[in-house]
Amino acid sequence: MKEISVNALAVEIAGIRMKNPVMTASGTFGYGLEFKPYTRLDAIGAVIVKGLSLRPRPGNPGPRIVETPCGMLNAIGLQNVGVDCFINEKLPLLKDVKTPVIANIFGETVSDYAEVAKRLDSAQGVAGLEVNISCPNVKAGGMVFGTDPASAYKVVSAVRASTRLPVITKLSPNVTDIRVMVRAVEDAGTDAISLINTITGMVIDTERRRPAIANRIGGLSGPAIRPIAVRMVWEAASVAKTPLIGIGGITTGTDAMEFILAGATAVQVGTASFIDPDAAVKVAEGINEYVTRHKTSVAALVGAVGR
Amino acid sequence: MENLDAGIIYNKEVGPGYFLLGLDWRPLAFKPGQFVMLRVSDGLDPLLRRPFGIYRVMSGGNGVELLYQVVGKGTRILSLKRPGERLGVLGPLGNGFTMPPKGARVVMVAGGMGIVPLYPFAHEVRGAVLLYGTRDAAQASVAGDFKELGCPVRHATEDGSLGVKGYVTELLKEELTRDAVVYACGPAPMLKAVAAMAAGSGTQCYVSLERSMACGIGVCLGCAVKGGAHADAENKLYKMVCSDGPVFESKEIDWEAF
Ligand SMILES: Cc1cc2nc3c(=O)[nH]c(=O)nc-3n(C[C@H](O)[C@H](O)[C@H](O)COP(=O)(O)OP(=O)(O)OC[C@H]3O[C@@H](n4cnc5c(N)ncnc54)[C@H](O)[C@@H]3O)c2cc1C
Ligand SMILES: Cc1cc2nc3c(=O)[nH]c(=O)nc-3n(C[C@H](O)[C@H](O)[C@H](O)COP(=O)(O)O)c2cc1C
Ligand code: FES
Repeated sequence: MKEISVNALAVEIAGIRMKNPVMTASGTFGYGLEFKPYTRLDAIGAVIVKGLSLRPRPGNPGPRIVETPCGMLNAIGLQNVGVDCFINEKLPLLKDVKTPVIANIFGETVSDYAEVAKRLDSAQGVAGLEVNISCPNVKAGGMVFGTDPASAYKVVSAVRASTRLPVITKLSPNVTDIRVMVRAVEDAGTDAISLINTITGMVIDTERRRPAIANRIGGLSGPAIRPIAVRMVWEAASVAKTPLIGIGGITTGTDAMEFILAGATAVQVGTASFIDPDAAVKVAEGINEYVTRHKTSVAALVGAVGR
Repeated sequence: MENLDAGIIYNKEVGPGYFLLGLDWRPLAFKPGQFVMLRVSDGLDPLLRRPFGIYRVMSGGNGVELLYQVVGKGTRILSLKRPGERLGVLGPLGNGFTMPPKGARVVMVAGGMGIVPLYPFAHEVRGAVLLYGTRDAAQASVAGDFKELGCPVRHATEDGSLGVKGYVTELLKEELTRDAVVYACGPAPMLKAVAAMAAGSGTQCYVSLERSMACGIGVCLGCAVKGGAHADAENKLYKMVCSDGPVFESKEIDWEAF
């Protein structure tokens, strides 16, 4: 890429400086290393790893995934190696990568979230935390933290108090008014907001007369959800004081530009990395092509669609 | 491991709904039992790649052949592709078969399209016997390729049109000696039955499994199967068919949950 384009692509989110606005979405990029044979990790804006919990989690029984029109439904069950294994075994292997690494975290209780955040705070090589609040709150009978403003506030406040790292809060789309959630997590001290996580959905296998995945319901992702995600970013931008990161169905630079024009400072590429492990880099190249052709920069276009 | 576009040299029907796909891609190396993820459409629907075993190196060595059956949307689209068109190929992926110990009597058990990964295996382990279960004689035409390798082939067909009438496990009963090592690939009920028989006779048994896949490289965690009694740490309870497999020793799998 030409010098001028490099500057035209650079963005900063909560002190995390990125060479371009493309991040990898949590749960779709493993712990980063798995992609080394297929893509240039150095050419990605930031790598967000699989969601980490205090203890390792085995995940759900299968089937865990099913394809849907232009998308997929998943209920992986947040399987992960646990925060300690990540810090000791995965993170050191990423230290030569010239791209910020952001840890995505979740918990079943507020104190779990705080403890995971604390452990990552002292780890070498973590540029920031992304808090996944789309997780059932065990103490509140399994109601998802991210669908209740008061619970979301508690989680984000606890994480904020446990770390000096930049905190990005990742919002669930499964709410009536996303602006209420934006205000709640900003009041709790988040530095940035990413959206959207997957949308709850269901697929039924009509021949067997039962749900297609073992968990019965799952999270919908991929191009099928993109218009919903763009709408939610645009609504969030109407009240947000912190930078937004747009997620949902991005497969090309043009898709990414929709989110940026709607008000996102950066974007994440998720399901597309399954179809092409080099997808994030290609999206960044597509954004570069767009800003070059329009003789402008990403920073100048954030929210340019207006209201 | 490569991520590239390969050109189609041929894509021809070789049996009822069975297609032999010749690609101008020659992987640097692949192990019998490894597979590729094929992108059957440039569009967004179907979105995900489809997994297919590598059947063999094309005669002349200019590419590889895949053998597939039309079962749904993705394979139907694939069957309509013409020579000269290009397809996204990601692979070779997975672990492939562990070779049998020297002197072992090798028994291959295939059901339907489960025949595919066993061909490159048979190519390396000459003389292994193939027990092949299909719906009817027409579906069993692929067996000719194994006979050319010098493999004795015994057939079981559901309609009795070739070999014994019934399931392939009928044939396995007679082959399950203690010095045997079993290599099986096929539908879930067949694999379950084979694993149970092998466990009963104390025979070593390898199975190649199939699961719906999104990534094929161990990152989406979508293709999980439950590990058997040997599953150790909590986060290893589930194994990924794409990256821990597709080949497992049958005792590694919880067949109750399969
Ligand atoms: C490691 C691996 C290797 C494989 N190798 C071969 C091969 O060499 N040749 C070949 O013909 N097929 C092979 N398969 C199966 C092949 O991937 C599926 O048949 C294919 O993905 C179906 O796609 P579709 O869009 O046509 O069907 P869909 O429309 O997705 O599904 C149609 C029907 O097929 C069933 N189905 C979907 N995926 C699978 C699957 N993975 N296994 C069994 N049933 C399935 C569905 O439940 C449904 O009933 C392999 C699968 C795996 C996991
Ligand atoms: C298989 C799979 C696993 C995911 N795991 C996580 C996770 O661990 N934590 C999280 O915050 N989001 C997770 N997500 C959500 C994605 O990060 C992303 O928000 C969502 O998929 C929408 O983006 P996409 O349409 O580009 O995939 C997962 C998504 C998928 C498809
Ligand atoms: S298909 Fe993604 S982990 Fe196996």
